[in-house]
Amino acid sequence: MKNFWYLFAAYTFIWTAVFAYIYTIAQRQQTLEQDIKALQQAMERRIGKGD
Amino acid sequence: MNKLGDSWLLSLIGLTGLAVIVSLYLVFVYVPTELIMGIVQRIFYFHVPSAWVGFLAFLVAFVAGIAYLMRREPRWDMVEVSSIEIGVLFSTIALVTGSIWARPIWNTWWTWDPRLTTTLVMWLYYVASLMLRRVVDSEDRRARFGAILSIVGFVNVPVVFLAIRLWRTIHPVMFSSEGFEMAPGMLLTLGSSLVTFTLLYLCLLVIRVRIEYLSSELSRLRQLSIPARS
Repeated sequence: MKNFWYLFAAYTFIWTAVFAYIYTIAQRQQTLEQDIKALQQAMERRIGKGD
Repeated sequence: MNKLGDSWLLSLIGLTGLAVIVSLYLVFVYVPTELIMGIVQRIFYFHVPSAWVGFLAFLVAFVAGIAYLMRREPRWDMVEVSSIEIGVLFSTIALVTGSIWARPIWNTWWTWDPRLTTTLVMWLYYVASLMLRRVVDSEDRRARFGAILSIVGFVNVPVVFLAIRLWRTIHPVMFSSEGFEMAPGMLLTLGSSLVTFTLLYLCLLVIRVRIEYLSSELSRLRQLSIPARS
């Protein structure tokens, strides 16, 4: 099992990088969806008031 | 996105998950340990696919850049910027895993070998291009600027690929005119990892393009809401 820690470090880095990226884009998507929903609701309220 | 698009994306994610499990099984259980390098050689099965996805992502960005300049459709800009971002991620993985693999085999973390140097130049260029895009305020100008950057940057990609054939290098040549120089089991494992990483790239690209679409939708709604506010 010589050099096992190099193998471990490489695979840990790969999956950490991939999952960190997936987490980041999931957060971005969630924030954008919330902003769009909030803006749509605000616009609907204004149209309802006749502004 | 519609329900058909969602179910298609979920199927793709499911298929990718299955491919990841199969590849991990092949890498850690099925494939025999290489005689000279030992266990650390198993880095190869995810290092090469990472580099491959980097090349593929920059190729897609290059094609999308040309398509944008020809048709001026925002969707091509969305594909281009998304693909570059994913390409940078996988090029980073290729550089870091290569460095970790080099330490026990070459006795150094880094050497200014042609393949390593050209890869680093390529990586720096695309990171810089993502940063430079943000400087431009106008959407249309930003898209044109991004398209030109992705087209110019792609010139370096064949140089990276051919570096081990054009110059003297310590980086191993994986395949030559005589075909792949490895045992069938190793070739199968590598093939499986290449398919897995390509599927992973497709999943990430679809999700990332979706974010670009949402972002443009938000900008459009904000512009529409301005007259309502004033």
